[in-house]
Amino acid sequence: MYGYFTGVCPELPGSSAGHSLQRGLFSAKRQAIKSGVPDPSIILDSLEKWFPPAPSGWRAYLQPFAPPTSPALRGISLEVKQGEAVALLGANGAGKTTLLRILATLLLPTRGTASLAGHDTVRESAAVRRQIGYHAGSDLGFYARLTGRQNLRFFGRLNHLSDEFAASRIEALGDRFGLSRVLDRQARALSSGTIQRLSLLRALLHQPKVLLLDEPTRSLDAIAAADFRHYLKTEVLARQDTSLLFASHTMQEIELLADRVAILDEGKLLAFDTPTVLRARTLSSSLEEAFRRLTGRRPYPSAESTPG
Amino acid sequence: MRQILRDIFLFFERDLRIASTYRSPFILEAAEALFGAAMFYYVARFVDSPALRDALPQGKTYFSYSLAGFVFFDYLNAALDTFDRSLQEARDAGTLEPLLVTQVSLPVILIGSAFYPFAATTLRIAVYLGWAAALFDFPLHAANWLSVFAVLLATLLAFSGLGVLSAAYLLLFKRGNPAKWFILGVSSVAGGMLFPVSILPPWLQIVANLNPVTYAMDAMRGALLNGDGILALGHPLVLLLAFAVVLLPSSVLIFSWSLRRTKVTGTLTHR
Repeated sequence: MYGYFTGVCPELPGSSAGHSLQRGLFSAKRQAIKSGVPDPSIILDSLEKWFPPAPSGWRAYLQPFAPPTSPALRGISLEVKQGEAVALLGANGAGKTTLLRILATLLLPTRGTASLAGHDTVRESAAVRRQIGYHAGSDLGFYARLTGRQNLRFFGRLNHLSDEFAASRIEALGDRFGLSRVLDRQARALSSGTIQRLSLLRALLHQPKVLLLDEPTRSLDAIAAADFRHYLKTEVLARQDTSLLFASHTMQEIELLADRVAILDEGKLLAFDTPTVLRARTLSSSLEEAFRRLTGRRPYPSAESTPG
Repeated sequence: MRQILRDIFLFFERDLRIASTYRSPFILEAAEALFGAAMFYYVARFVDSPALRDALPQGKTYFSYSLAGFVFFDYLNAALDTFDRSLQEARDAGTLEPLLVTQVSLPVILIGSAFYPFAATTLRIAVYLGWAAALFDFPLHAANWLSVFAVLLATLLAFSGLGVLSAAYLLLFKRGNPAKWFILGVSSVAGGMLFPVSILPPWLQIVANLNPVTYAMDAMRGALLNGDGILALGHPLVLLLAFAVVLLPSSVLIFSWSLRRTKVTGTLTHR
């Protein structure tokens, strides 16, 4: 496990010293990879994303190509190894979803590079899409008039699964997640939690090498969330050698699943290491406390264990 | 190639399944087609005269002339409307992003999403013409079906490029279909849908002669009402295909650029 740490002070990562330290450690890891360590599944190198302002009304016509001025990611460099689970932890607007969407080829980075299973997300987006299972964290994304099974079969076959294999995978995963009874109902008749479980199932259907999950258990009840985490831990990560990059606000989920945690704040990578090391280096008793110390953010009054 | 055809069929199957969950619309559309055909028949009876028949370049009655123009306009509408409507529906249902992270390429998603609407339009037109032939003596027996098919295909190819451009516009500006507005707006006056362009003032006749819809409309009437063969329709067919050769690849390129732009701005799913 070669974690690295960009500093316990929130100010350091944004400074040029912090950035140089990141780059140096990044190069060292590349050397390690060349010397026989398995290829990383995800490599982000000085990744930046800036968004242009969103003009409305007639301004949209007058300034259709306004330059990007709002930073979402600032110089992110990290690696996720094959079979490793990495959590993205940060407050709302920290850049977690932007990062996942760049890897899913739904956004283009402004500067820097992102590669997944050896393929650049910009130049080789088709090859990247062959490797990923993506869950956007939304309660939408299915055809309301089709049943859950028909929806899953459609997306499974668009990922070039045979009809028989797609059908058997849907059956098996439906059984595993207790969705068998609802698979033949139209999506419009399903609860948001069930839709979210279908979306997770869709991401897993074609057994991708890399899973990108944005708040995977957000709309799930406690039992379904625990069951899904257990499945990821025991069936996907342990047996299939799949890499997992997920964004979450749930400390319990991160502690259970993540080998390493990337803490983001306002688009910057503040720290990237194992939960144990993060706690030790910040002299914290919990990951939540480490997060607070690193980001300088105060506890949330109503949700102590769910930053952001 | 086989994989691409299979992918396109998946979209067709998806849309057919969705359409089959709505039961009454087909019956209502069939009824609407009956009333539509009846309306054209009685308007034609009201205005028909030997002088009018002499003025019509094709078709023996104003009924067949105007109905042929109307159903062809339906096809044109489908070509201009299908792509941006499919895109809008996918965006509103939240299925656009899940589609874009599958292994299917963007042109296949576009073509696949257009397949069912075109098939449904063909069926609707068939019902229209069926009612017209069964109840109002529309001269379907005179049609050269091979030519009709060739003209429809050339029209779809030629005007789908404008439909894809509309979808690109929708990606960038979120609302509106300027190609549909412009082409259908201009063509309803200067395209020969319900009256021959020869009755227009000279400057509008110039517009009509520059409008590819005019040629497509003439070709369709020639094939459907006069039984013209493909050779006889060579000029409009070549013109439509030339339009398609220029417009289709460039529209797909512009759409790809627009998609890329939304990936830069992060507005892919914005409404």
